Amino acid sequence: MTETLVGQQPTDSQELAKQVRSHPFVDGPTRKLVRSWIQHDPPPAQIPWTPLTKPLSRCRVALVSSAGIARHDQPPFDQDLERRDPWWSDQSWRPIPLDTSEADVAIYHLHIDPRFGHQDLDCVLPLRRLEELAADGLVGQVAATHYSFMGYILQPTELLSSTAPAIAAGMAEEAVDVAVLVPV
Amino acid sequence: MIPEFTVSVGAPRVAGIDYPFGRPIGVPGDRAGQRAVLQAALEVLSVARAPGTVIQLPFRWPQSPREAGGEPPVPPPIVQLLRRKPWLVLRLLAHDIPEPRQPATTFTGVKR
Repeated sequence: MTETLVGQQPTDSQELAKQVRSHPFVDGPTRKLVRSWIQHDPPPAQIPWTPLTKPLSRCRVALVSSAGIARHDQPPFDQDLERRDPWWSDQSWRPIPLDTSEADVAIYHLHIDPRFGHQDLDCVLPLRRLEELAADGLVGQVAATHYSFMGYILQPTELLSSTAPAIAAGMAEEAVDVAVLVPV
Repeated sequence: MIPEFTVSVGAPRVAGIDYPFGRPIGVPGDRAGQRAVLQAALEVLSVARAPGTVIQLPFRWPQSPREAGGEPPVPPPIVQLLRRKPWLVLRLLAHDIPEPRQPATTFTGVKR
């Protein structure tokens, strides 16, 4: 794999904001918004870091999607909440069992076109692709449970106090070694 | 996707990819392409040696931004609000979020 190693990011917010480069699918206003947030918000005191102590081929992997995926047998994410109060949104989460396919879910996200994930769930939550990597020995095991929340969150109060700890607890219960957060 | 923002909020290892919103792993139905992206993202685990590492994956979307499209069917509520009240953009840029009008919905999660 060829790669461009951007490297360890500066901790100085001003310098990091300057590094927000042109991304072809990110428009100018969004880029400006992101730069502003990087400058305004205090950086984390410490970036959590757990070294990888065994090869990926022996790791159990779980996926987390911010696409707002909910199964038809689960409560949908509350989009009316965001419609009534656009600064806020549903910060809850859903467990997504490994055998879930696009036929079993809907995507509740008002900031993307959900039809791509509805057509092929793997383009937002690659469960089948992960299973293939495990079958070929590149990944150790695939977790029984994966997760989704809805990623338009301007003030992540409940995300941090409730959703993230619940997801982490679920992963710990299943002895997950690696969590892959897939943005949307 | 915007890896600089992701690392600014404390993600330990970031794989950046210039794919359109709504399709971060790849084109619907492109199994080989999706697998390549996922595999490359996972390989960042083996390469990253320090917190805050960003690796830009080398994949290229097969369409121009205009061709790729992908806007939501209806403008998001915040966009509609800012069009009606453009002065609120300053508040958004400052990340000055008003208090919620009502408590958010909470789902405690039901595991199978």
